[in-house]
Amino acid sequence: MADTYLLQLLLNGLVIGVIYALIAMGLSLIFGLLGIVNFAHGEFYMLGAMLSFFAVTDLHLGYWTTILAVTLVAGCVGVFFYHLFLSSLRAADFERSILLTLGISMVLQNGGIYLWTVTPRIVPTPYSYAAVTLGGMQLPVLRLFTLGIATAAFLALYLLLSHTLVGKAMRGLSQSSDAAAMVGIDHRSVARLAVIIGIALSGLAGATLAPVYSVQPTMGSAFVFKAFAIVIIGGLGNIAGAAITAIMLGILESLIGGFFPLTLADSAGFIAMIVVLLFKPEGLFGRGVRV
Amino acid sequence: MRRRPLPLPASAAGIAAIWLVLLCVPWLTASEYWLDTGIAIATFAVLSTGLNLIYGYAGLLSFAQVAFFGLGGYGAALLVTRLGWSFWLALPAAAIIATWAGLLIGYSSLRLSRHAFAIVSLSFALLCGIVARDWVALTRGSMGIPGLSLPGFDAPAHMYRLTVTVAVILLLGFHVLLSSRLGRALQAIKLNEPLAQSQGIDPLRYKLLAISVSAAASGVMGALFVFHLTIVDPSVFDFYYTETMLIMVILGGAGSFWGVIAASAVFSIVPDLLRFSSDLRLTLYGLVLVAAMLLFPGGFAGMLRQRSLLRWKTRL
Amino acid sequence: MTLLTVTGLSKSYAGVQAVHDLSYEIAPGSISGLIGPNGSGKSTSIDCISGFLRPDEGRWSLLDRDLTGMSAHAMALAGLTRTFQTVRAYGEMTLVENLCVAAQEHDGVGWWQALRRSGACQTADAAACARAEELLEKTGLASYRDAPAQVLSYGQSKLLAIAAAMMARPRLVILDEPVAGVNPTMIRQIETIIRALNQQDVTFLIVEHNMDFIMSLCAQVIVLDAGQKIADGPADAVRRDPRVIEAYLGVADA
Repeated sequence: MADTYLLQLLLNGLVIGVIYALIAMGLSLIFGLLGIVNFAHGEFYMLGAMLSFFAVTDLHLGYWTTILAVTLVAGCVGVFFYHLFLSSLRAADFERSILLTLGISMVLQNGGIYLWTVTPRIVPTPYSYAAVTLGGMQLPVLRLFTLGIATAAFLALYLLLSHTLVGKAMRGLSQSSDAAAMVGIDHRSVARLAVIIGIALSGLAGATLAPVYSVQPTMGSAFVFKAFAIVIIGGLGNIAGAAITAIMLGILESLIGGFFPLTLADSAGFIAMIVVLLFKPEGLFGRGVRV
Repeated sequence: MRRRPLPLPASAAGIAAIWLVLLCVPWLTASEYWLDTGIAIATFAVLSTGLNLIYGYAGLLSFAQVAFFGLGGYGAALLVTRLGWSFWLALPAAAIIATWAGLLIGYSSLRLSRHAFAIVSLSFALLCGIVARDWVALTRGSMGIPGLSLPGFDAPAHMYRLTVTVAVILLLGFHVLLSSRLGRALQAIKLNEPLAQSQGIDPLRYKLLAISVSAAASGVMGALFVFHLTIVDPSVFDFYYTETMLIMVILGGAGSFWGVIAASAVFSIVPDLLRFSSDLRLTLYGLVLVAAMLLFPGGFAGMLRQRSLLRWKTRL
Repeated sequence: MTLLTVTGLSKSYAGVQAVHDLSYEIAPGSISGLIGPNGSGKSTSIDCISGFLRPDEGRWSLLDRDLTGMSAHAMALAGLTRTFQTVRAYGEMTLVENLCVAAQEHDGVGWWQALRRSGACQTADAAACARAEELLEKTGLASYRDAPAQVLSYGQSKLLAIAAAMMARPRLVILDEPVAGVNPTMIRQIETIIRALNQQDVTFLIVEHNMDFIMSLCAQVIVLDAGQKIADGPADAVRRDPRVIEAYLGVADA
């Protein structure tokens, strides 16, 4: 029936949308607090996915354990990433930060291709073929889990930013570095936390989506470029804006792809970005780290 | 980057001499490998210098060069194969198509910020690749458009000479622009934009100039390149070209005209000599980029500049 | 006849009214001062009238040419130049180049002429070079003409900035804190140079904290406090105005 087809498209779009949102929010957070556009962001998503593949097939970890483990590892990677590369960059070093993170992305992606080849791999889970029947539709359990996990992550981030001291520090910092310093907020530790969270979200997204589609070393690039478009449309540094835009884009792409050639679906995000830039350059929701 | 540039007649003579020497290469070797390398050097020299104009002189990081390159290629291919145009008409048309694309993305994003321009330029390049791959009705998708031949230029040596000649003309054009007061205005914008504005320099106009000139040149080289390969396909938009150009500009020294050209030559030859697989090569480029950004952001020319600065400081 | 007329300038951001309903006039050929305690809105008002900040309200004009809403570079072409609080120069260019760049948009040479190095272009370049040398002499920087601007000391950079602002033969030069952080000898030097340039019929509007500097140089002084004008008149009168004293020193203890 046409209805269920539409609903199916919406669900798929929602699932992709929340994954976009996890990646885009991380990107936005890092930009809002460090002024750095992290070109390597998609590669952490990819690494999360690849890591979950090896965790399941070589270490025989369970579905939930894998996701948790990969997220924690990603957070640790975030610490290294910050200290090794980002801590010496100033917001004014904009080009340098892009080129630096681009270089890291090249190393990770091409190194990944060299080590693991581009052969797609499937991550086996006990839930891979399970589905729940609801109103005449087959809802794959994995996708429902993805939605659940992502929603939980959103809630956690929201609570962090709006109710904790650290979260308030983050919002303060993105608004004014000087004012924040005067109140005793240590820019560096808050910035580092932002990077940790951002990378962890990416890793989480990778681990969560890995069993739904396949994994291979080039999977990061397509996602990260869409994440850029999302971040620009949603407003640079605006987390909620990024999340909402991401979900809208996911649904939009799915709907377009369901009725039109796939071409258009992939291009939708970029075209939307150019249109938004032409008419509302500060993004649909404006700038700043807002919740 | 300040350099008493050679007076124009002297530079022009030097360039003419180099050009003549390059034209003679096919008589020295019949090897197609060297002719192909020569074409690669000429192509990358123009592409990198275009990027240098936008990034090294105007201070705008741009990833769209490859988009202009590919649009020029596809544009010329479609005009010749679908509309039956002569290549010699399609060539300037390709340049115009690329220029308009540059103006579109430049104008739309520069009003926001340099950040936006960087991201939009990147997205545009990706979008072009996606459209080339997916709009099968127009571009024949991944199969590409074959049969691009240039009557009278079938021998590799002819294509080589044509490409080298066009490249030399374009590079000369770049040099004329960059050594003029327009180039100086671009540098001023890069070094201190508010100051330039307070002196009557309109940053948007100059940035759009840099983008258009760069785009036009890239479009021309794109058209020549695909007719050399006799086929155009979506791989012409590959990120590989962008990564290579960036390495050439960064290592040669953004803002150094000759540094970037030299780096283009080196990086067109060396990788092949080392016989790396492409992922290993790109991994290496990535490492070089990271090292350069952490250790010596100004490239080779930047290091020379630092030394001359030190000399001045000790004098005073 | 006034050279610069500002009417009803207002600007607020982040909920703070930085400038409120500011109006004043500057006479041609004068040296005027704009003073006020920290945060009084001096630099904000200058950023507005030079095109670097969009005000919420207000109009301003140079002679009878309305400049309201023009972009920064257009204002410069209209004859209004300025220096910046944080000294700005093209660090990697030589001093001569720094000055020649400042003149190049004002000599009527178009892009095409510039590219083909036409006669008009070359004449204009030579004239700019000559003027640059002249200004470097006046500011005592002639020996550094071929040095990159980065090697200059802080005070010397301020001199260079003033010279650059002069290159385009502007009608009005706005100096934003020209002597802040500069040693007393250099202050006197800058004062002398401003007087000398003013002799050649250039009008100055100087924003400063340094009261002595302003009072000795300026015929007219405008005082801002918390974004509003509290005094406007001859230097002597302003110096004795109780509201000005209160603004700078706070309410006198009873």
